[in-house]
Amino acid sequence: MHATSILSTWAGLLPAQHEAAGAAAQVAGAVDGPAIAALAPLLPLLSFVLCGLCAAFKVRSKLPAWITVACLAASFAAVVATTLDLREAGAGSVMVTPLFDWINYSWGTEAGQHFRANFAFHIDSLTCLWMLFVTGLATLIALYASEYMSHDVGMGYCRFFAAFSLFVFSMACLVMGDNLVLLYLGWEGVGLCSYLLIGYFYKKPSAVAAAKKAFIVNRIGDLFLALGIMLCWVHFGSVEYREIFARVGPSLELLREGKVDQIPGIVQLIPLLLMVGAFGKSAQLPLYVWLPDAMEGPTPVSALIHAATMVTAGVYLIARTYPLFLLSEYALPIVGWVGALTALLAATIGMAQFDIKRIMAYSTVSQLGYMFCGLAVLGSVGAAAHVFTHAFFKAMLFLSCGAVMHGFAGQLDLRKLSGVAFMKGWGVVGIAMFVGCLNLAGFPVITAGYWSKDMILGDAFATPGMQAIGWILLLTAGLTAYYTFRVFFRVFVGPKHFEPGDELHAHDDHGHGHDDGHGGHGHAAGHAPSHADFHPHAPGWAINLVLGILAIAAFAAIVPLMTGGDNGPWLASMVDGSSAKYLGVAASQAAHAAGHGDGHAHATFFGYDAHKAMMVVSGVVGFIGILIAYLLHYAGRTTAARSKADSLLPAFGPLATAAQHKWYVDEIYDLLIVKPLWVISNIFALIDKYVVDGLVDFLGWAPRAIGRSLRPSQGGELHGYAIGMAGGIAVLVLIVLLVTF
Amino acid sequence: MILFSLILIPLLFAALLALAPAAQARSLAFLGMLTSSAAAVLAMLRFDWNNGAVFANEKTFPWLGELGIQLSVGADSVSMLMIALTALLGPICVVASRTAVTERHRTFFGWLLVLQAAMYGVFIARDLILFYICFEFTLVPMFVLINVFGSTNRKHASVKFFLYTFTGSVIALAGLVYVAKFNAELPVSATRESLAAMMQAGGTPAPGPGVWTFDIETLGRAARRMSSTEQAWVLLALMVGFAVKVPLFPVHTWLPLAHTEAPTAGSVILAGVLLKLGTYGIFRFAIPFVPAAFAEYAPLIAQLCIVGILYGGLICWVQTDVKKLVAYSSVAHLGFCVLGLAATNATGLSGSILYMINHGLSTGALFLCIGMVYERYHTRSMKELGGLAAKMPVWSTFMIFFTMASVGLPGLNGFVSEFMCLLAAFQASSAWGSSTTMVEGAMDAGLWGSAGASTVGATHGGLGPWYAAIAGIGMIVAAMYLLLMVGRVVWGPLVEPHGHGGHGGHGGHGGHGGHGHDAHGAAAGDHHDDHADAHGPLPADLTAREIGVLAPLAILCVVLGVYPKPLLATLEGPVNQTVQLIDSARSMGLQLEAPAHTTSPAQGGAPTQGLAQ
Amino acid sequence: MTHGTLSLLAQTGFPASMAQATLAHYVVVSLLMFVIGLIGFLTRRNLIIMFLCTELMFQAAGIALVAFGRFHLDYTGQTFVIFVLTVAAAEASMALALIVLLFRRKESLSAEDWQELKG
Repeated sequence: MHATSILSTWAGLLPAQHEAAGAAAQVAGAVDGPAIAALAPLLPLLSFVLCGLCAAFKVRSKLPAWITVACLAASFAAVVATTLDLREAGAGSVMVTPLFDWINYSWGTEAGQHFRANFAFHIDSLTCLWMLFVTGLATLIALYASEYMSHDVGMGYCRFFAAFSLFVFSMACLVMGDNLVLLYLGWEGVGLCSYLLIGYFYKKPSAVAAAKKAFIVNRIGDLFLALGIMLCWVHFGSVEYREIFARVGPSLELLREGKVDQIPGIVQLIPLLLMVGAFGKSAQLPLYVWLPDAMEGPTPVSALIHAATMVTAGVYLIARTYPLFLLSEYALPIVGWVGALTALLAATIGMAQFDIKRIMAYSTVSQLGYMFCGLAVLGSVGAAAHVFTHAFFKAMLFLSCGAVMHGFAGQLDLRKLSGVAFMKGWGVVGIAMFVGCLNLAGFPVITAGYWSKDMILGDAFATPGMQAIGWILLLTAGLTAYYTFRVFFRVFVGPKHFEPGDELHAHDDHGHGHDDGHGGHGHAAGHAPSHADFHPHAPGWAINLVLGILAIAAFAAIVPLMTGGDNGPWLASMVDGSSAKYLGVAASQAAHAAGHGDGHAHATFFGYDAHKAMMVVSGVVGFIGILIAYLLHYAGRTTAARSKADSLLPAFGPLATAAQHKWYVDEIYDLLIVKPLWVISNIFALIDKYVVDGLVDFLGWAPRAIGRSLRPSQGGELHGYAIGMAGGIAVLVLIVLLVTF
Repeated sequence: MILFSLILIPLLFAALLALAPAAQARSLAFLGMLTSSAAAVLAMLRFDWNNGAVFANEKTFPWLGELGIQLSVGADSVSMLMIALTALLGPICVVASRTAVTERHRTFFGWLLVLQAAMYGVFIARDLILFYICFEFTLVPMFVLINVFGSTNRKHASVKFFLYTFTGSVIALAGLVYVAKFNAELPVSATRESLAAMMQAGGTPAPGPGVWTFDIETLGRAARRMSSTEQAWVLLALMVGFAVKVPLFPVHTWLPLAHTEAPTAGSVILAGVLLKLGTYGIFRFAIPFVPAAFAEYAPLIAQLCIVGILYGGLICWVQTDVKKLVAYSSVAHLGFCVLGLAATNATGLSGSILYMINHGLSTGALFLCIGMVYERYHTRSMKELGGLAAKMPVWSTFMIFFTMASVGLPGLNGFVSEFMCLLAAFQASSAWGSSTTMVEGAMDAGLWGSAGASTVGATHGGLGPWYAAIAGIGMIVAAMYLLLMVGRVVWGPLVEPHGHGGHGGHGGHGGHGGHGHDAHGAAAGDHHDDHADAHGPLPADLTAREIGVLAPLAILCVVLGVYPKPLLATLEGPVNQTVQLIDSARSMGLQLEAPAHTTSPAQGGAPTQGLAQ
Repeated sequence: MTHGTLSLLAQTGFPASMAQATLAHYVVVSLLMFVIGLIGFLTRRNLIIMFLCTELMFQAAGIALVAFGRFHLDYTGQTFVIFVLTVAAAEASMALALIVLLFRRKESLSAEDWQELKG
């Protein structure tokens, strides 16, 4: 990795000096934001409180769902209003809506003797972009969940929607916070909600374990994020974006002048620390292991938190602090390689799984890898675009899977379901799934997923030194198309067949390992577990409505991606108007310039312009993937359980088995980290009991022991004492005499 | 006078309680706690929060004048905050013990009141001897509470608790008395006659040759004039005493034992307030008395803290006793608290004081939660308890809430202080270099760690990023063990101890005859419904009283997590004053080898002469 | 010989003549008495004898005190002896009463019969 040379090359790509200085000044001089922006996080918070009250008053209706939907919709409206305000303020403007002081204290009057991390919201176009799809999708998914969770009306329903609302609030804090500490609040807040919602079926040990794993693995990343924030504060004297970006100037200047080696080491370390935090939250190597397990949660949660929004927080963090990342020689290359390897690894695992929700989870990990690569290859627009399109189609894919799971008693095994799309009442689900799969597979031209993926691939091949990443991503694109359509061809088309899952309700809370009878659970009574009587129940209006809207949105996402005003496409202008811009602009400008024969420091794809070449190549690769899936999993398949692919499996030998076992990563972690730590902890406990405390007990025991050993000398005989006394006096006298003479 | 009443009211009620009939003990104790808390609130209302560093409501009564010992009280904002914590937890403990304490009400509540008085005394004392008396006297009620009302191993635990902490405190006393002696031998300009006149008039005896005083302010000024060797020894003595109380690794082993065996109210007070006496002592005495030595040895103290954080945390992870787990978590948490102090900068001191309060709230509440389960199931073993969310949703909500507060989730109280303590350790390094402006730093900067790296937010100190990074691992470990606890006890399949089972259709589990105290025999008929576990007078889930106990703590956790600003603002005064002491001591250098005063052999008898007069 | 010379001689510690008793004589007597008492105390088992031996040691100390008091011309020693005598008288009555009580318990005066203070 020729980090330094890459960095120097980037320096050449930097926008003209006045532009950067202007941007910095712009960022520093923020204007007061609209008060309505504060409603975006506060309304979900209100919803959280109301749902909590519903739980307290034991509301047994769908009230919490409607509260949540209404509040989230209002929050979405507030975001739209804020976006319009921002547009009025002009491109690239930054507004700050202060709410109240949080961690705020001083120890002197001089500059720098002041710590300030307030509840204040930083509103720029990146914030608005993120908040738009977060609140928009959250509203839709809440609507979906109102039906999906209906079997749990009561306590569980309240609990679900309370945590759901709290999640949106936390996410809003994460995205809108005007400082890194408030981002950290949101960061851990979404982690908490993720924990609570993964553990929603709390009686299932696997769900509890998954929830715990998610929280702890995230915490590892959080620690690095926290350290990054501290370093940021120590170096820049502030945790507020405005201040930090204003003070990045000198280092940016050095970068532009090519004096890369003069950028302080501290500055280079900050992004490296922030990056690990992003890896944790966005499930990248080596911290991705929690995300597949997180599928233990209810499907709406998987759709919203573990596909569309929370997991993109890492991408947001890097985009938000992009200027810092540009200053490090190593940060972005590492991000790129981690992203590429994660994308490939997750795709290979996804190919070999049978649980459709898990396949989607691995595809999420894989797509997040794409986004990181996008950032690493200076295509923050591409990354953001992929976050945007992925949010819609992946949420839709999850919700479709969820509808299947809901309808077939928790059945998720693609060997036990077939032809679902053609069953009565499942048309909308089938269409939604098809649209989602097309997007994920990157079906050329008509899908938004194709265009956003294309931007990243194009940027990768256009950036010098990053072609290898481009090739990995291209390979992954093929694999993605294959495993996506493997699910589609197996489950949704083909001969009609189903076996219901082992749960009467997909999410009923009796996942106890032991069968203690369900008589105690009143709501479970009346459902006969006999498969013969089982009728899949087709999704109702709410699920169909949401899936329909999302299916349209997944296509409609092309519009903001490809069209816009004077500043280029809308989405690009949103990204460029924010801190994610500095090099993003330069890169795309340079990319355009490259098309005009400038050619400076620009890589090409076998002599063709990378972006244009990718439009064709990635389309072809996606098509091939789909074709293979068709041949292996659809053509000539007569049963649900088997397809032609099974006969090919032996050819891959242990590789296939290993992929099915997720490359044994969980086992390796368990063996290398968890088990040794457990042993060490037990040793510590023993040390504490027998050494540290033993020493104390020894100190208590020693005088008693000495006393016990001297005890025989007290024989109780008068003469013994008398002789002792006389002898003692004699000795004393002797000593006195010896000393005196 | 209002501060004196904080000591007097609980004592008065304790005396009343001793005379009153046992049936009235609980209500009388509650009244006493409420009255003293009301007095505390009154004191808080009269306190000028904008001038946190000023000791308000000061009052001095002559006591043992010839020894220079006075009944002298006063409170700055640090004291006031600790008083507020004490005033909050006191009544809560009485209410929480309503069903837990079934016999010897007068003993229990009487000693609880005495304990309350002693704790107030520690925080308001402006005289060293008064401080020490109160500091030590907290041991006696706690000893009784553990010894009489604890669980199976209570005798051993109480004796160990008493002797261990007492030994430490005596060493601290030696250090404090040395400072007093040093002060008495300092030359002053006042003549002997004027001193005598002052003393006859009942005034404060000014310090001087042979004239003893235990006024904390005066002693602090005197102590800072000690030679660095003396300072180091005094620091050692003080730290031994306070570290045992905190407790820091490796003198922590009394804590898990005492916590496990203590009754719920005892655990709450122990975790909530008594442990803070140690950190308060460090803040009030160790740092202002010997700032130079403290700054010098801060890295060592911080290292002990970090060991405690990781070691205590990992031990938590393998506990099966819930209460022991939370007890060990205190070792880890207080490690963060002292780490903040060891950072010796404003962030750290503020964070540490906040930590004292936050830990009192969240861990106190966790002990309350565990106590509520213990009352119902008579076990604290994670092997016998599980999945209680199914039975006790309200309790589970509180449990998860306080666990999250304890984990340090942002938005709740624990985060603010934990983050500040870590940040303080992070920035407190001399390795950060001295350039103050970004540009200057950027220009002469070399690689990471080289001198001259630009640092706007850095402060002096002997710690640094590695301290924060390694201590930060404690955040992960905290999540590991606390979520393990939640995962076992709150979530998962329902597990109840033998004799408590019987959800759903399992009949024939023999009812509750096995529990002697269950006076519900007559109502045995309804024991086979869903509330079969309703134990004694307690229903399956929390009662309104128990919710009332936990709710104020929960609300405070949120408020302090979201809006710690008023606290931070009022702490700026005392904290910045203390930081100035440390910084000036640091800038003067630690080379004060020559003693600041000369004691000729002829003056050796000076103290006794002073006493003779 | 005048009183002055006498005291002067006495202070030198040397006998003026064999006829006159000096401090050394008293001290030797006291020493002998003490040693006799000590040996008696250590060798005899009879409580009464042992008690008498302690009395002997007491008186030996008393003689020494009086002698030194006289030698230093300081009456403290003699005063002290008067006190000791008084206390010894009280103590003797107490001790004998105790011995009588002990005898009644076990019909024996042997000190070996009593080992109640065994640790």
